[in-house]
Formats: sequence, C-alpha cells, structure tokens
Amino acid sequence: MNSRERSAVERSLVSVVDDDESVRESLPDLLREFGFAACAFSSAEEFLASDWIDRTRCLVLDIAMPGMSGLELQRELKLRGQEIPIVFITARRDEGIRPLALEQGAVECLFKPFSDTALLQALNAALQVS
Amino acid sequence: MTPSQQRSHKGNILVIDDEPAGLKLLFAILTEDGYAVHERQLDLESQLRFVKETLPDLVLVDLRKPGMDGYQVCASLKNDPTTRAIPVIFISSIDRSINQAKALLSGAVDYVTDPFDTEEVLWRIETHISLRRLRENLESAACKHSAQPVAPNEDLERAFQEIHVLTQVTGRKHAEEKVRQAKRELKRSEALLAEAQRLSSTGSFSWKVATDEITWSEQLYRIFQFEQDTPITLELIGSRVHPEDLAMLNDMIDRARREVSDFEYEHRLLMPDGSVKYLHLIAHGIRDHEGRQEYIGAVQDVTQRRFSEDALAKARTDLAKVARVTSLGVLTASIAHEVNQPLSGIVTNASTCLRMLSADPPNIDGALETARRTIRDGNRASEVITRLRMLFSKKEPSPEPMDLNQATGEVIALSLGELQRRQVILRAELAADLPLINADRVQLQQVILNLLRNASEAMSTVDDRPRELLIKTERDEGDRVRLSVKDVGVGFEPQAADRLFEGFYTTKDDGMGIGLSVSRSIIESHQGRLWAAPNDGPGATFSFSIPCTPEGLAGEVRMPNAA
Repeated sequence: MNSRERSAVERSLVSVVDDDESVRESLPDLLREFGFAACAFSSAEEFLASDWIDRTRCLVLDIAMPGMSGLELQRELKLRGQEIPIVFITARRDEGIRPLALEQGAVECLFKPFSDTALLQALNAALQVS
Repeated sequence: MTPSQQRSHKGNILVIDDEPAGLKLLFAILTEDGYAVHERQLDLESQLRFVKETLPDLVLVDLRKPGMDGYQVCASLKNDPTTRAIPVIFISSIDRSINQAKALLSGAVDYVTDPFDTEEVLWRIETHISLRRLRENLESAACKHSAQPVAPNEDLERAFQEIHVLTQVTGRKHAEEKVRQAKRELKRSEALLAEAQRLSSTGSFSWKVATDEITWSEQLYRIFQFEQDTPITLELIGSRVHPEDLAMLNDMIDRARREVSDFEYEHRLLMPDGSVKYLHLIAHGIRDHEGRQEYIGAVQDVTQRRFSEDALAKARTDLAKVARVTSLGVLTASIAHEVNQPLSGIVTNASTCLRMLSADPPNIDGALETARRTIRDGNRASEVITRLRMLFSKKEPSPEPMDLNQATGEVIALSLGELQRRQVILRAELAADLPLINADRVQLQQVILNLLRNASEAMSTVDDRPRELLIKTERDEGDRVRLSVKDVGVGFEPQAADRLFEGFYTTKDDGMGIGLSVSRSIIESHQGRLWAAPNDGPGATFSFSIPCTPEGLAGEVRMPNAA
C-alpha cells in the first residue's frame, strides 16, 4: 500500500529509537513516505518514559546506545509484557549480533546503511506478526 | 735443469741421487742462497772418483731411492782420506724413518727430510760447511804453530760454539717433528679462522702506524670489495668510506697516531654500486717487539643487523601507535561506525527524496530538505575519512614551533557552523602571554576539535540553560601550556572519568567515537596529559597540558658511535 491508500487514522505508528541524530532526522521522513506515522527518540529511556509505547506498532531500534542498549530495551519490554515487534538497525558488523537479535525475538536486524526496500520488507513482516 | 757449473765462494755442493727431478726444490733453495750445486747419477765408483776430483764442500746423498745404497756411498767417502773430511748429509723422506745407527756409523753428519723446510736445509748445510772450514783452519793453524801453545782467539771461540750447537742437532729430530706438527695445526686453524671470518662477515687487519703499512685478511678485502692482495693504503680505505663519515674517520686516525689505545667505532661505506654498508670496527693498540706502535683489530659488516634493527624499531613504533589507540578489531569497527553513520543518512535521505519526487503531487520541499541532508552527510563522511587518514598515517609527528591560540582560533572557525546549529554559545579566553610551543599542529588541532565536539554533544539535550561552552588557554607551571574546554552538559560520574578515554566507549557522537582515546595518545606523545573533571555545577571540563618543548619528539637518528 502507498501513502495515498492509508488515511491518517489508519497509519501505523513506527517508533525510532537511536542516539544517532542523523537517523532520527532522516528515518521518520522515509517511514512517512512508506505510509507510516513515525516518531523518534534519542534513547531507550526516553522511549520508555514516553506515552507512545502502547501506540507503537513497530519499533525500529538501534542496538549500541549509551545507557540502555537496544537489546536491553527488548528484554525490558518483554518483562513489561509489551511485545512490540522490533526491527534492529545497527552500524556494528559483529558476526554474532544478528543471530543473537533474532534469537531474542527480533523480526529483523539490518546493518547500516540499509536500503529502503530492505527496511520496508522488515516493517511489513513485523506488522504481519502483530 | 742446469746445475751450476761454477764454483761458488759460499760453497759447492754435490748431490748424489738417481732421480734429480725429485730434488728440484732443493736445488732451487740451494742455488737461490748462493751455492753452486752439482749432481751426479753415475755408478758408485764413478761417483767416488768425481768427488775426489772436484772436492765439494758438502755432499748430499739421497737415501730414498731403492736403487741406491746411500750408506755405502757415505762409507766409501769416509774410507778415503782425500774425501773423509767432506761432510755428508743424507736426504730422507718424512715417512721413512732413517736408520740412525746406520747413518752415524756410515759417517754422515746430519740429514734433511722431504718435504724440505727451506730455512732448516740452508741452516744445516751452512753449519756443516762452516764447521768443516773451521776445522780445516784449525788443523792448518795447529800444524803451523805446533810448538806454541794455541792462544785462544775469536775463531776458536766461534768454532767451539758452533760445535756445541751441532751436538744439539741430533736432539732436534723430535723438535722437528713437533715443528711440523705445529705447522699443520697452524695451517688448519688459519683455514678455520678464514672460514669463521667469512661466516661472520668479519675481517681482520693490522696497521703499523709509523710506516702506515696495513695488512688485511681475505674477508676484509671482500667486505670492501677490493681485489685480493691489493696493497692497502689509508687513501684506498678512504675511497670507500661514506663521504659523511670521512671526517670522523680521519679524526680517529689522528687520535690513533697520537696515543696508543684501543678504539671502537662504527662507520659506513659507500660501495661503487651506490649501496651503503655499516661497519663496526674494534682495534687494539700494541707495541711490537721493537717498541713500535701497531694496531690490530677486526672489522665486522653489520649492515644486515642494522637494517633488521631499524625495521624492528619501526615496526614497534607502528604497532605501538595502533595498539595505543585501540585493539585492531575495535579500531576497524569504530572506523566503520564513523563512516557508516553519514552513509546511512545518505541512503535513507536519498531513498526518501526519490519517493517524495515520485509522489503525486511530488513533495518538492521535502525532497529539497532530504537532498540537503544528503549533501551534508556526504561531506561529513569525507571529513571523517580525511581526519582518520591523517590520524593513522604512518607519518612521524612533525613538531614545529606553533601558537596554540592561533591553532585554537582556526578550530573554532571550522566548528562555528556546527556549534551554531546546535545552539552552542562559545566563549574563548585565550591567554595573551602564551609562549610558543613545539608540537605537531595538525594533531593538536584534532584534539581541540574533538574536545569541542564532545562538549557540544554533551549539551545537546540541555534545554533549561544556555549551552555555554568555554575554551581557555593559559600558562601552566613547569614551562607548560594548558587548554581546557568547559561545558554545561550532562557531565559524568567522577568514577567514570577513566572509562571516557577508553577506545570506543561511546557511540553517541556523530564525530569521533574514538576521539578521546586517540586524543589522549596524541597528547601523551607530546609528553602531556589529557584529563577530565566534572564541574562544580553542571557539565564537565576537559583539559590538556603539554610542555613547551617536549623532548624526543623528533624521529630517532642513529649516530655512529665514536670511541
């Protein structure tokens, strides 16, 4: 579906959590072009403290962040019983990171820079899950 | 072979042998020394007759040939009064032991062995001929003055001396054998020494100072690449010495002439093909048995070792540089990270731009904004690469006298745009009396930039107070200068201070996540200190202090050792 086919009410909220300012600057615009609603947070703590947890249909989450990391946030959300589908994005090209993320229940783990198509695919998969 | 036909004043020698060819060397020795040498290979009777006719001063009889009975010849000569007094010397070979009893009984006075020792042969022959002459003189003198008591005179004394010496001849057989053995040992150890010199690229030399007579071993010729046995002069040596080391060499030589002492030094050679060799020389000053000054020593080609040492030192420096920053894996990761962030932004923004433009109607404003961000991120990426390349280039730090205030001003100018975007208010308090310092300008600017960005980043979430950033330079005690950057940002726990400087501690900046650990190494390589302290109020202050003239900053230059 493209943006025209979705009304504002129907737009699913995708929340972006990344300490990288350029991600917070660019990703929401792309998400909106995909037809999602988007909002961005600079840290896991900020997201947890916000009002958007319940409304978030999908989380685009950086792994390496100062303070609580992406994987820790994933665990925290599980503990809270809030199983939001997660698409991890990371600049770290550790060999073990993707299997670990998937093992812990993430829908996808993308390496920066990722293509828009890859992101869209992951988001669609995430939204199928929920 | 033409034996001499003349008679020599020194002596006439007859050689009785059935195969004169085997005595070529002996003939040469004797003739060289001034004797007239004859040879006869007739039958026994003819030989005896010849001796009676020519009356040589000495007869050499070869015992080695089976066809001859040397003992018989000798006995016959001794039986005949005319020839009795002529000394007979046997020639035997080293592996055939002479029958001593038979020899003595037959009347021979001595023997020489093949292989011939030149000096020995001549000595014996001379001795026997002299002795014989002396005896003759004595006898004739005694005949003339038979009624008078014989007064002691020089000739007599000398005669007795020589007789005394002769009695030692028989005891010499053992000594001879020992000498031969010693010669064999010497030959072998000379060969071993030559081999050792070749293997270790060491040559030996001697230098007689008064005459400048210089002797070299084979290996030394090879090291210098001169033809073997070329006469060695100081000029010749100088022609190979590296022009830059020539003055030092001449100094050495002058000093060596003045005082007899040991000396040791290193110098280079410049070979004809342009290559350079490093030599290490050790010399001992001695006085020879006549008290004349002489140096003996050894020269080793240490070129290989020098190159290995240099390569090792360089590898260590390079490794230290990399290790100083962070482990290689983390380094690669952090470089990738630094570049990935702007790259990520570019890809995302460009994708968005495309979609915005293909929408119906196209979102021009949005597209413009994403395009702008793309360009900005592209610049950022290239900036990161440049900075990283500069930082990790193999170039040695190049210190120069620099004005820290001026360098700081440049960094501020560079960062103004970014600081403004982040709404940071910059204040600069740069000391007027700051002395010039000797440091690598580019590296220090990298550190200052890093501190500025960190400070600005730390304040990015500050909303309740102005984002003030203070950059300050001042004199520090102990002939140092200090620069500090103070912010009012999120600060840090005092316990976390050291962690800040670990490689790849934080990823939150869009500049240099590795910045602080690298900055610290730069400052430390200037013999300085970089540290951080939380402020009394909000935020933190990062400072570095470096000496005005750090030692040992220039690359190490290896100087040749002078003794």
